[in-house]
Amino acid sequence: MKHILLIATLVSSLATALLFVPSPSIQAQNRGAVRPAPRTLDGKPDFTGVYQGGSSKRGDWDFQVPSDQPGVPTAATQAAVTSQARRDPIPFQPWAREKAQEYVNLRSINDPTSRCLPGPSPRANSVALFPIQFVQTPKQIVILYEYFNVFRLIPLDQKSHPDDLEPSFLGHSIGHWEGNTLVVDIVGFNDKGWVLSGGIFHSDALHITERYTRVDYDTINYEATIEDKKVFTQPFKTSTTMMLREGERLREYICPENNEDVLRLEKLLDSPELFKRNPAAPKPQ
Amino acid sequence: MLNGQVTCLRLKPAETDEVYSIMRIRSVAFLLAACVLIFGARIEAHHSFGAEYDAEKPITLKGTLTKIEWTNPHCHLYLNVKETNGKITNWKFEGYPPNVLARTGFKKDVTLKVGDDLTVFAWLARNGTALAHAREITLADGRKLYFGPPAGTGEGTPIVP
Repeated sequence: MKHILLIATLVSSLATALLFVPSPSIQAQNRGAVRPAPRTLDGKPDFTGVYQGGSSKRGDWDFQVPSDQPGVPTAATQAAVTSQARRDPIPFQPWAREKAQEYVNLRSINDPTSRCLPGPSPRANSVALFPIQFVQTPKQIVILYEYFNVFRLIPLDQKSHPDDLEPSFLGHSIGHWEGNTLVVDIVGFNDKGWVLSGGIFHSDALHITERYTRVDYDTINYEATIEDKKVFTQPFKTSTTMMLREGERLREYICPENNEDVLRLEKLLDSPELFKRNPAAPKPQ
Repeated sequence: MLNGQVTCLRLKPAETDEVYSIMRIRSVAFLLAACVLIFGARIEAHHSFGAEYDAEKPITLKGTLTKIEWTNPHCHLYLNVKETNGKITNWKFEGYPPNVLARTGFKKDVTLKVGDDLTVFAWLARNGTALAHAREITLADGRKLYFGPPAGTGEGTPIVP
């Protein structure tokens, strides 16, 4: 009887041990376990690091989700994109909705990025193809974008924007802390960009309020409220997560170097029958 | 040098999804085996895929690499492809910029060399020339890498509710 009990105990112990030996997948998850967001010496959340927008994966660079290239070919990729960059319905004014629809009918051929022109940060922050670096000091945060190799300076000690702002693609930013959230106010835009992909254009009245919260070591929750009284009927929001990518580095991206697309797109515009979509065609699912 | 051959693979739209699935499965296996990062993340390059290329016209071409351009906003591969009638055509393939290729596993002067035999899965340009948008390339040793983003239709986010 003792032997039976001993064997049963051994079997039970072995089974228990096996149950608690982490599988490779669980070990992988543990490596990405949630750690608290770091803080600077003055107690503020520390955003320093290189991130990948438009992703919710912890750890290494995320290449697993195909295509935001406007229009998505499969239901699976559509769902993935939706989960990563959420946006309210676009409250276009009637004339603007008509114009935006025409951009879509032309399959975004007029996207300013085709001419290597950058868009405002709600768009850039949700692009997963290129990393974004935060450089933080007590008085200023600098955001470096590999996408078009542009940068934003966000002073933390200015209460208002300068009164001599020139029209610009990325606008003028000022930031302040609300608890653990970095709040950034952006004005001073030109009317040449798309604030989001897919024909979501804007005017020089664009005003963006961004909220960056490093909710844990790996994750910045990003939300932008987009207002433009010349184009939209009311403010709307878009959001994404920006994931820390330790070991990743920003590289050069000098878009105009050999931008053959401009010439090809201009030729295509002379022959819209080659590419123009049927507005009545079913939308991609 | 000029020993490639054409393997045209016309797929119906419904079959295109299958291609994506197959590519993903192959890529995951390759990732596990070789620990090399490939794949496409949430893609937004610098222009609309759908305006220039036709997602309903996938093509697979085999040929010999004649030139590589490491340029922005797109790198290009040039492939001498022997068509069924024996004619050699120099095809041009557009792909990711150099910074992105570095993350998808390409190393300049190491991964690709002029003279290599390659198989390229791509989508044809709408302008009807020997131009295509490359997605997956298969190296002579069988390794597969993503040279460009997946196809989009260019339909964009629906504007009209």
